[in-house]
Amino acid sequence: MQAQEPLTILIAEDSAADRLLLSTIVRRQGHEVLAAANGAEAVELFRQQQPQLVLMDAMMPVMDGFEAARQIKLLAGETLVPIIFLTSLSESEALVRCLEAGGDDFLAKPYNQIILAAKIKAMDRLRRLQDTVLQQRDLIAKHHDYLLNEQRVAKAVFDKVAHSGCLSAPNIRYLQSPYALFNGDLLLAAYTPAGDMHVLLGDFTGHGLPAAVGAMPLAEVFYGMTAKGYGLAETLREMNAKLKRILPVDMFCCATLLCLSSLRRSVEVWNGGMPDGYLHRLATGERVPLKARHLPLGVLSAQAFDDSTEVHAMAVDDRVFLLSDGVIDTSDANDQLFGVERLQQVFAANLEPDRLFEDIEQALRDFRGEARDDVSMVEVSLLAPAQLKPTAPVYSDSGQSCPLDWSVSFEFRGATLKRFNPLPYLLQLLLEVHGLRGQSGALYSVLAELYSNALEHGVLGLDSSLKRDAAGFARYYEQRNTRLEALQDGYVRVHLQVTPQEQGGCLVIRVEDSGKGFDVARVMERPLENVRLSGRGVSLVRQLGRNASWSDEGRSARVEFFWEVQA
Amino acid sequence: MSVVAEVSPDGKKLRISVKGRFDFGKHQEFRNSYERVDPEPNSYELDLKETTYLDSSALGMLLLLRDHAGGDDSDIRVVNPNSDVRKILAISNFDKLFDIT
Amino acid sequence: MTDPHVDRDVLDTLRDVMEENYPDLLDTFLTDSESRLQELQATADAEKLSEVAHSLKGSASNMGAVRLAELCQALESDARHKSPAEIVKLVAEISLEFDGVRPVYESERQHTHTH
Repeated sequence: MQAQEPLTILIAEDSAADRLLLSTIVRRQGHEVLAAANGAEAVELFRQQQPQLVLMDAMMPVMDGFEAARQIKLLAGETLVPIIFLTSLSESEALVRCLEAGGDDFLAKPYNQIILAAKIKAMDRLRRLQDTVLQQRDLIAKHHDYLLNEQRVAKAVFDKVAHSGCLSAPNIRYLQSPYALFNGDLLLAAYTPAGDMHVLLGDFTGHGLPAAVGAMPLAEVFYGMTAKGYGLAETLREMNAKLKRILPVDMFCCATLLCLSSLRRSVEVWNGGMPDGYLHRLATGERVPLKARHLPLGVLSAQAFDDSTEVHAMAVDDRVFLLSDGVIDTSDANDQLFGVERLQQVFAANLEPDRLFEDIEQALRDFRGEARDDVSMVEVSLLAPAQLKPTAPVYSDSGQSCPLDWSVSFEFRGATLKRFNPLPYLLQLLLEVHGLRGQSGALYSVLAELYSNALEHGVLGLDSSLKRDAAGFARYYEQRNTRLEALQDGYVRVHLQVTPQEQGGCLVIRVEDSGKGFDVARVMERPLENVRLSGRGVSLVRQLGRNASWSDEGRSARVEFFWEVQA
Repeated sequence: MSVVAEVSPDGKKLRISVKGRFDFGKHQEFRNSYERVDPEPNSYELDLKETTYLDSSALGMLLLLRDHAGGDDSDIRVVNPNSDVRKILAISNFDKLFDIT
Repeated sequence: MTDPHVDRDVLDTLRDVMEENYPDLLDTFLTDSESRLQELQATADAEKLSEVAHSLKGSASNMGAVRLAELCQALESDARHKSPAEIVKLVAEISLEFDGVRPVYESERQHTHTH
């Protein structure tokens, strides 16, 4: 047993003889003694000297022991100052009074030294325990404050990374808690150079900083690649590889990625581990579930990663609805989950599509009895092409020197066509010409259209009229995947030629493919019209570029772009 | 003990069962159940018969086990999940990584 | 044979604990007790009698004056129920008991002085 360390002990006892005796006993046990003859003296001595333990006689003149004990306990506050009542009161009522006044123990007269020593030891142990508890509590509170501050800083950094997004676009509606980042919830949106929109709703494992930290590299890849014109597949591959590389084995990010294209009237979807999203077709009322067909990001190695997407036809009034698992996982007092069925019921009962969020929030509130702050929802629709307003990219060069008189040719063959998307690279190359930068959207759209025509209709031989209706749409993209996988031979050639002109310059783009061609004359006869679901995008090329023409039985396309130098 | 591990008599297979909620609180126990088994088993069986619930940290723990057991070369069977647990494994597509029966 | 009036073992312990302050303790006890006795004799109020008897009981028991402590306990518990005549009788008994043990403490005081 450990030796008792010396304490300062206050003794309040009105009988002089007993006071003298007790003081001597306590001093002999190694403690320092403060002596008081009545309750008032005791309280005053306590206030001045803050002893660690009190021996208090119950019956005293001026102020009795009960009142003195109450006052001393008040003065002590959070600190435990044990009070041992000295009493030969035997009635239980009197003993109860002692406890109610704050007494922690009793010592009977005649004083027994051994019992007194034991009680002092026991009370002191309690006192030190309370002290430790308070110290630890204060330490925890301090660390908690540090953590909160760290999170604040992390969020500020993240917000700067995420600023290039377009979540405030008119076609996006979302609901997210301010603390979403620290629940691992992520919502990103950005325009591609062609005016399509990429949207990501993600959910990292874990909470707090570990979840938030993974979001930053992911966001940088998403924004960087989307701005350069990379498609979903390449962006997904890059995001997966990055997370796989930097995150610990047991961390990953469930995510749903969308590419919405007003031009092509389609939505491309990839869902890894997220709850079902829904494509709501306003015309039929149908809600197509967008199911998770993939593992979350950051789990599979690059070789094993599956970047295949689903493509659905989408009309201008259709909406895609995504939600995090906070909705499905909401539980009530009996630990029942809200679940998918109840969500379907909300969908079915929803009369005003614009009120879908409110309906869901209300249903959650009714179910759980209170609101949750970690639910993320997003609803996206297509912008009518007229509304497209992608933000202008920012360039880091000084604008002094740029290539004005050059040409380059590429030939992309079988194996390359399967895996490589040359469009971002070609666009970056063209944007070295300053005069073309103002038309980057149109440039990208035209290049993308010509390339995809050359690949899909030319090399793969797909029939564009399949895309006439929604079911055919799905079949078209299935066929595309199958034929691309099986592709061995074939090529797409891209020729770019930039020549200076009197007041600016001219870019000629030629794209050739190894396919069968098409009936150029017939297609050119059709009037220029707005983009249709099917068709070869010939209209688009003719509208955005100049002097568009097709030769070699449709296997070769040519279009021009002009620019003028600003004074 | 809510995580119980049993080695087969020939030492080649380790059977781990998890009782109750499989969540972050089980992290240390779960790792302890397989990390120090010597010699290392060739195959693993994770019995989820008495597992009531699985969250994303449990999925992370499965990935840790898979990594420990040899990654793509691992032989891990997940057996007897109840319907809720099975649904969670399906949504996360973990049936592409693990043999689930 | 154990003394019913003064427990000698208690005195031994006190002497041992107090060391050179033993005489002080004895003096204080005797002075204190005398003034308490005077209070008992001077009052008829049952509550006051109880309080004073309680006090005297405490120090008496600490000092080993066993019988004195017993008598004080009797007065403390029954002061409310006894008649004035009974109270006077009990107080007189207490006084008598104190007179009986006083020499013991005085002799203790002498004894230590000569050592």
